[in-house]
Amino acid sequence: MSDAALDFADSRRALLGFTGRLVGFTLLATLMFIWLGPVLLVVLTSVKSNNDFLAGPFALPTHLTFEPYLKVWFALGFGPLMANSFLYATAGSALAVILALVPAFTLSRLDVPGKKVIFGIILTGLMLPQQTVIIPLYDTLRSLNLLDTRLGLIVVHAAYGMPAQILILRGFMTTIPRDIEKAAYLEGASDLQVFWRVILPLSIPGILVGFTLNFIAIWKEFVFGLVLLNSEANFPVTVGMLKLNSDRYMSVFNLPAAGLVIAQIPIVILFILTYRRISEGNFAGATKG
Amino acid sequence: MSELLQTRQPSLFEFARAHVLATIFGVVMPLVVFAVFVGYPIVYTVVLSLYEWNGMTPTKTFVGLANYQYMLQDRYFYTALFNNLKWLAVTLVFPVCLGLVIAYGLRAKILPFPTLVRTVIFFPVTMSLISVGLMFLLILNPLFGAFDTLLQSIGLGGLVMEWFGDYRIALYTLTVVSGWAFTGMPMIFYFAGLGDVPKDTFDAARIEGAGHARMLIQVAVPQLRPVTAVVVMLTIFESLRAFDLIAVMTKGAPFGTTNVLGYLVYLESFWNSRFGYGAALSVAILAVSVGLATLVTRTLMKGAFDV
Repeated sequence: MSDAALDFADSRRALLGFTGRLVGFTLLATLMFIWLGPVLLVVLTSVKSNNDFLAGPFALPTHLTFEPYLKVWFALGFGPLMANSFLYATAGSALAVILALVPAFTLSRLDVPGKKVIFGIILTGLMLPQQTVIIPLYDTLRSLNLLDTRLGLIVVHAAYGMPAQILILRGFMTTIPRDIEKAAYLEGASDLQVFWRVILPLSIPGILVGFTLNFIAIWKEFVFGLVLLNSEANFPVTVGMLKLNSDRYMSVFNLPAAGLVIAQIPIVILFILTYRRISEGNFAGATKG
Repeated sequence: MSELLQTRQPSLFEFARAHVLATIFGVVMPLVVFAVFVGYPIVYTVVLSLYEWNGMTPTKTFVGLANYQYMLQDRYFYTALFNNLKWLAVTLVFPVCLGLVIAYGLRAKILPFPTLVRTVIFFPVTMSLISVGLMFLLILNPLFGAFDTLLQSIGLGGLVMEWFGDYRIALYTLTVVSGWAFTGMPMIFYFAGLGDVPKDTFDAARIEGAGHARMLIQVAVPQLRPVTAVVVMLTIFESLRAFDLIAVMTKGAPFGTTNVLGYLVYLESFWNSRFGYGAALSVAILAVSVGLATLVTRTLMKGAFDV
């Protein structure tokens, strides 16, 4: 996985010369304009006063104001929304990881007959469009009195997070050298001991990656939150933010812009803390049988 | 455990006796979760699609295939179905191909500041589609939007359109916004995949004097087939899942022309209280996903993993 794997371009770079570098920087500028531009524009809009906003979308603010943040925070009730999303993302991901640990261990380290079939069945949960299960989930949660409850949504998130966690953790556990546990088995250790003493401690980086990805996924999630909850007190950020698309907020853009920034801050923090780990091919574990 | 045992694959029963805990928590438990949260809901949906039910009354009326007959005459169903397919087509062309090109540009060191590029393009993947949708509602707003202002200031004011109001382009606006948010995904997959391509393969092509375009198409793309298979699968399911952007940006407007199947299920079930018909539409989504997935498995994936 090292970057050196494809250093076929290293010797080429010298030959690239001026034209090559010009092409490179033009592409870079285009990509930045398209992908960074909108984000920066929203951040810029969020610190503008109403008057500055009317001066045009690209006009720099005459002074920075954080008033839009305060206004939108209280108008939309971001406090409870963020608390809810934080609860769903933390509890849902933790449960998903816990549910996935032993299956990942079993399917990566033990010779289960029919391993591929079992793994395949579990993974279908990953590909299922949520809309195909939303009516039964709604009805089932209602009959269990879990509709419109935080617990109900956490359970659903945990169950649908589990397959991805098994995929990630299994991929991670496969990379742990066999010799380590062989020694343990030879000394008469049980599966439980090998799992608990050997594999689990070595899997902590994988667990962190899995947890982070699941946290982000639940923070972003919308369909389950929309359908399985009714009362605003239980809404996650995504569902609460729908209100921003209304005349009340859309007359001056600094309020919705500030709301967008607020909703993204927890993810940005998490992203900064874990970006290297996540970006370096852990997603791609899926592509390695 | 001992090598002697591995000469013969143990039966599931033998395995279960030797590994009781691993069998219960490692095999049975995830399969039970699957049965409760995937298997049962699918069966339930299929059964419900044969009934008429308003979602409130305890009784459901059996109507046979009436929901499906209705579906085949429902103009909104066809619009939604074709919108899903258009969504898929745009996603396969714009974010997936672009993600591949960017990943190649990064690995071939054509693009400077690789970490910056990866971070910036991956960032929208971490945003909720509700946030992405709101963001582009601001940017594409006809009165104060930055995009129209920009077009006018560079003399392309003639290109300004009703991005959400014009029924001919509203869906494409949505798919492009969705592609903007999705590009980071294929990029990361292809970036990782290119890292695993043996250096010799590229060296050989370079010695033959291949340029970047040829290296990308003739060397990288064939080598990346397993990655492409996974990316295409991901794109299919992502396109059939399309919902959030529509819910926040257009709600199916104008005139239902931006409806997709996923949104139609929601409208029919939870707004029109026609849960039976909603279930039939869910079955349609399922059928389309399974159909497309089978197609991909038979073509792209065939032999892709026989390494």
